[in-house]
Amino acid sequence: VTLPADTEIRVWDSTAEVRYLVIPERPAGTDRLDEEALSTLVTRDSMIGTGLARSPAET
Amino acid sequence: VPYTTHADLGGRQGLGPVVHDTEGSVFHAAWESRVLALTLAMGASGCWNIDMMRAARETLPDYLNLSYYQIWLGGLEALLVAKDLVTAEELAGGRDRYPPRPVSQVLTADQVAARLARGSPTVRPPTAPARYRLGQRVVTCATPADHHTRLPAYLRGRTGVIERVLGPHVFADSHAQGLGEDPQWLYTVVFEARELWDIAAAPGHRVSFDAWQPYLEPV
Repeated sequence: VTLPADTEIRVWDSTAEVRYLVIPERPAGTDRLDEEALSTLVTRDSMIGTGLARSPAET
Repeated sequence: VPYTTHADLGGRQGLGPVVHDTEGSVFHAAWESRVLALTLAMGASGCWNIDMMRAARETLPDYLNLSYYQIWLGGLEALLVAKDLVTAEELAGGRDRYPPRPVSQVLTADQVAARLARGSPTVRPPTAPARYRLGQRVVTCATPADHHTRLPAYLRGRTGVIERVLGPHVFADSHAQGLGEDPQWLYTVVFEARELWDIAAAPGHRVSFDAWQPYLEPV
């Protein structure tokens, strides 16, 4: 994963009592997509903070 | 025998690459799903709690050489033997030699979906006010524990700031030792990465960690 240099990195080391998920950043060029179309861009990795959501061009 | 965890790997180097499973993969082989089912069924039996299971897993001598579900299976086998539900001889032979011992609860297949959906929340009602408030500086305990704990070595004796107050939760350290739920206030504490990793960390990066009140002292 390549991120802009000004991206702040936050690590969450969960002890398991509270579970966390990441709300993926909305990919560029998706302003017109509805919830259902956006959901196809969400990946496991984008919800655990180790990847970005897919762009529409990738699907 | 001193307590030795093999799972406290935060900040350790030289453990090889992270193997990245493809999106959507759940099990690598059918036996893994059986281990999940066995673990769930026995976890519901009331013979032990989840923190005892975590302790059983992290103390497996060959932990570092085992895959995720091999660790689950090893922990399950260790507890089955420790609780006299199975003998080592039976495990080695692959068949039962003695009548099964009764357990207090039996999870049936029709209950599994509801059980999984319900989860196992650990939050408990408060019995005393929280000792720390948002924004307060705290330092973590510097002494290694001789039992299951969630405070990793890389966070011992480090100074951070209370970022969230999460309420009282079952205290894993006590629960794993069979000392009851012993609920303690849980906080998210945020640490500057440079406080943890010195100049190896980029400035401005931070690590958040959920710490129970007994792990913390005021600065």
